[in-house]
Formats: sequence, structure tokens, C-alpha cells
Amino acid sequence: MPEQKHAEKFIVPIGPQHPALKEPGHFEFTVDGETVTAASVRLGFVHRGIEKGAEERTYIQDLYLLERICGICSHVHALAFALGVEKLAGVVVPDRAQAIRVLVAEMERIHSHLLWLGVAAHEAGFDTLFMYAWRDREKVMDLLEQLCGNRVNYSINVLGGVKEDVNDVIRDGILSAMDYLEKRTDLYLKLVTTERTLIGRTRGIGIMEKQTAARLGTVGPTARASGLERDIRLEAPYSAYHQFPARIVVETTGDLEARFVVRVKELYECFRLIRSILNALPAGELTTKMPRRIPEGETISRVEAPRGELFYFIKSNGSDKPDRVKVRTPSINNFASVMATAVGHKLADIPMILSGIDPCFSCNDRMVTIRGVGQPAGMDWDSLRQYGIEYYK
Amino acid sequence: MSELLSNITALLLFPGGLAIMAAGMIYEYLDRKLVARFQNRVGPRWFQPLADFIKLLAKEEVVPDGIHPALFQWLPVVALAGALTAALYVPIFGAAPAFHFTGDLVVTIYLLSILTLCTGLAGANVANRFSIIGATRTLTQLFSYEAPFLMALFGPAIAAGSWDIAVIETYAASHPWLIIYQPIGFLVALIGLMGKLELPPFDAPEAETEIVSGALTEYSGRGFALFRLGRSVELVIGLTLVAAFYLGGVANPLLFLVKTLALLFIIAALQSLFARLRIDQTVGLWWRSGAVLVLLQLLVLIALKYFGVAL
Repeated sequence: MPEQKHAEKFIVPIGPQHPALKEPGHFEFTVDGETVTAASVRLGFVHRGIEKGAEERTYIQDLYLLERICGICSHVHALAFALGVEKLAGVVVPDRAQAIRVLVAEMERIHSHLLWLGVAAHEAGFDTLFMYAWRDREKVMDLLEQLCGNRVNYSINVLGGVKEDVNDVIRDGILSAMDYLEKRTDLYLKLVTTERTLIGRTRGIGIMEKQTAARLGTVGPTARASGLERDIRLEAPYSAYHQFPARIVVETTGDLEARFVVRVKELYECFRLIRSILNALPAGELTTKMPRRIPEGETISRVEAPRGELFYFIKSNGSDKPDRVKVRTPSINNFASVMATAVGHKLADIPMILSGIDPCFSCNDRMVTIRGVGQPAGMDWDSLRQYGIEYYK
Repeated sequence: MSELLSNITALLLFPGGLAIMAAGMIYEYLDRKLVARFQNRVGPRWFQPLADFIKLLAKEEVVPDGIHPALFQWLPVVALAGALTAALYVPIFGAAPAFHFTGDLVVTIYLLSILTLCTGLAGANVANRFSIIGATRTLTQLFSYEAPFLMALFGPAIAAGSWDIAVIETYAASHPWLIIYQPIGFLVALIGLMGKLELPPFDAPEAETEIVSGALTEYSGRGFALFRLGRSVELVIGLTLVAAFYLGGVANPLLFLVKTLALLFIIAALQSLFARLRIDQTVGLWWRSGAVLVLLQLLVLIALKYFGVAL
């Protein structure tokens, strides 16, 4: 057996393959007994070159490609891209289409938050809550399948509108499912705020002050749990959020419990929005005519994904293919907060703090060039290709 | 000659050996099925523990580099042997214990601890970082529940005035159920058993989301199968002890089944009700409340005994 020197650091590697991680990422936690003294992260195991791929395809094909960035919040990616391209083309999408887009986005948020609740409960060793939350999530998945035809990549967006309409059967199905889920959400809210063993694992753990949250640029429920009022649905309403305004859910304590409570309370907000949309669904067309070639120009498009702000930059050169598509997913903003709050906690808290930001690894893995002194300002395609060949040799 | 034959039967067939292993698998199945149903899952089929066992036995055992190979291979055997030996001293299946002598209660409790000790040693033997942390946690947990568990089983022993499991069981069967007089002892014994078996919420030593599989991370084939079987056997023995001491004895097979299965039901429910405790929370729970309460009860029992109050 190799001798363990006292001066030697005891590093616990988590990942790239580890039961706590649903996707590959690599974390190294230096521990002293059970206490974590240092943390580092390495991402990029699932870089897929989607942005480059988007440049090779037409706008219509891109919609399908970009929807596959994330398996959980696929709709918001297509939504953000469609909104940006429609803005570039100067097309006004019918109200009914916009309302259906928001409807699907909110149903997706329910499914994403319930999924997270299950994962976070599993990290805490509370498998019963995990199973319950995921079973209820099936309700939303079934509804989405009924509405869009797919459980995961809903593919309801087209450039200039949506594909599927909400009929009375689907409408009644959604409304009755919302009633059921609201009752279940009451149970979950009670659980995360009163169950003593769960509170023992969440209250006072991973506290992030408001200033820290702002300095690290956190977004979404992670920021809102620290008292930071950040929500694109309110700051820059898009799609149908003008007609159906969202309300913000904020907690001030900034610990893991607050992140549980924010996400569970946001479910109520989703139920309310979905009901108000279904009760006042605007009449009209589903799609509008869309040009194949998008006029030259560039735009940004921001939407509120279940994990926070999703940012798209789209540059058009006047052809039917985009010149550049840049995607920034919310997880990359939130990762720094894990490293900032992990130090000083017990090893057992680390998976919970990590899952507390609801990380999505393959969504945020993209090429990043850090410009240092004396280094080239960028890479052209050939040198990048060469770099890749050398790297994997 | 017939004594030799009956001894061999007791060791290999009933109540030790094959019978206790089969019972371990059946109880493991029931435990898994009950927890699954509580968690809104389907759960395993009835032969799943046996299928797991056979599959693990058939798998290649990977012995990692840089370890003591003999220790790696023999620790699971010792662990299972400890658990199987303990089965000879308890009134399993409602039959009288195969062997008994004055003081076999203490010996049995220590035989039951061998499994945990072997798990800890097995984790410390390999250079895997998850195993080492798991081993530390296993042994930390051992030190937290062992003393309260011991004291919880001493309560009935003091009431019966004997250290012989068979005598205590006879006493428990002929008196009102001891759970009424010693409720704290019953609770501590039952929850201590859960800690001993590293069942949720006391599964920090093998918390898969933190340290993969804890001390047994490097075990894959035969060794892992034996450790698992040892744990299932301990489940049956532990349930038998608690039922025999606190629930009015297990005089016949029917009583044995009813009482141990009722306890198993409670254990399964407790497993699905709580989030996992951190290791510091486990230690805190045992030493701040469990140990203190059961010690108080023990002192009261001793005082009553001293002043000659009939128990």
C-alpha cells in the first residue's frame, strides 16, 4: 500500500465518471478528514461543436440542432433562437403562437424543477422524495407528448410560429393535471420546509450572500435564492410574457433550503401562468410567413430557462445560414458559485451544493479562448483543427 | 456419534449454514420489496437476492494493485463466518439456540460486529480514496451505535438476570412484553440495528452520491457477494434478537415469522422516511440522545434490581 504522507493533500476526485454526476465533469476536492479545504473544477468533457455546426446549417435546420443542446430545457433553446431570428427578419409572430410557446415553456419549467427536486433529494439520500417527484414529473411529460408529440425534444417551434394547436381535450387535460400537481406541490413544499432530516442537510448549507451572488454573476433560481431579483421574464418580457406577466419568487437566506423553496414555489407560478394562458388563449393563426434568407444583421435574444438566463447571439450575413450563433447557458454562470461556497463544508454536502445550482454540463461545454499576455488573440479554423488533432493524439 | 451428527447439522444445515443464508436472502428480498413499494416503485422479483449472489460469485474478482491480497480475499470470508457463527446462539426460526452458554449474549454481539470491522479493514486495505473515506466513516459509525446497541440489549439481560440468550428469551416469553417496560431500549436496539446494517438514513459510510460505494468500492465479485450475504444474515439475526428480547420471545416458528416480519416492516418504513444523515449528524444523534437515554434506562433497571423490585 502506498504510504500516505501527512503533508500530502488528500484529494477526492468526483468525476468524470461518478454516481453523483449525471453528466461528465471533473471536480477535485481537497479534504481534511471530512472537511473540504479546496475545490477545483474542469469542464469540457462533452463539447459537441454545436455552434460550429449551426453555421453549417440553414436556419430551419438549426432550430432542430439547437433544440438538442439540452435534453431537459430543449424548448427554451429553440424559443430563444426562433425569437432572435424572427427579430432579425422583422417578422411578427401571431399572439396565439406566442401564448402556446409560453405555455410549453412553463410546462417545461415544471418538468425541469420536478426533475431537479428528485435529483437533489437523491443527492441527500432521500430516495422516496426522488421517486415521488419523478413520478409526478411523468404527468407533465405525458401532457407535453400529447401536445407536441414528443416527451423530450418537443419540437413545437418553427420559425414564425408553432406547429401544434391546443384543442379542448388537451386544454382540459392540462388543467386537471395542474390541479393534481398543485396538491402534490403542497406536499413537496411542506416536505422541504419541515422534514427534519432533509432540513439538517439543507438549512445553513452552501450559503451565498446577495453580494457574492451578484459578483459571481449567478442567474435563475440560484440567484433568486440569494435574494437577487433576476428573471428575464420580468426584466425583458419576451414572447407572450407581456400579456401574461410572471411574478418573481425570491428567498433571502441563500442556502440550499432557499434553493429548494424557490424552485418549489416557482412551480405554483407555473401553474398560475398555465391556467391564465389556457383561460385566455388568443385566437388566430399559428404561423406567419417567414423568409428563407434572413437580412444581414446581428441580434441578441434572451429567455429565462428553468436554470436561469439563456443568452443567444445570432449574426446573419444575408444568406439562409447564420454567420455565427453564440449560446451561453445558465449553468456556466452558476458554476463559480459552487467553487465559492464549497470550501469549509463537509464532504457529504458537496454533491448537494453541486446539484443545488441544477448544473447541466453538456449544455455549457463550449470552446472558450482565454486571452493571455503574449498569446494569439484567437484561432482560425485550420489551427483549431490541428490543435484538436494534436490534443487527442 | 449422534451428537457429532447433530452438531454438523446445526452448523451446515439448520439453524446455521444453509438455512440462515436462505433466510437472509428472503429477508433481504422482503426489505428491498417493501422499501420499493413505499417509494412507489415496483421492486425486485422474489429470487433477485439469489440471482445477485450467483451473478457476483460468477464474476471475476479484480484484486487491485498495491494491497495485501490475502487480506483482500479473506476479510469477506471472516465477515460472513462471524455472522454465520452468531446465528448458532440465537433462537432463530423459533427453535432453541443450537448452542448456548453463560455469556453468549456478549459473544453474539461481538460476532455481529466482526462484519463491520471487516468492512472497515477492507476499505482501509485498498488505496482507493473513496474506500478510505468509507472505511473511516464505517468505523466512526461503529463507535457511535455500538455502545448504545450493546446497552439496549443488556436491558432485558438485567431484567432476566442472565447473560444467556436462551434464558433471557424464556424470561421474555413468560413475562409481559419488555417493550412496555423498556421502550427506549427497544427503539435504540431497532435503530442501532439499522446503523449496524448501514441502512438509510444511516448509510453515510456507503453514500453512493459522495463516495461511490464506500469501503467496498474495490470489491466486485466473490468478496462483495460474501459481504452482502453477511449483511443479510445479520439482518435476520438482529431482528430475531430484538423480537426475542422485546416482543415476548419467539417460542415457535409462527411467532418468529410474525414478530420479525413486523419489525422488518418498521425498519423498511424508517428507511424510506428520512434523508441520509451526515456522519457527524449520526454520531451526534447517538451520543447526544441515544446513548444517554439508554444509559439512563439501564441505570434505572440496575437500581430497581438492587432494591429488589420485581421486574
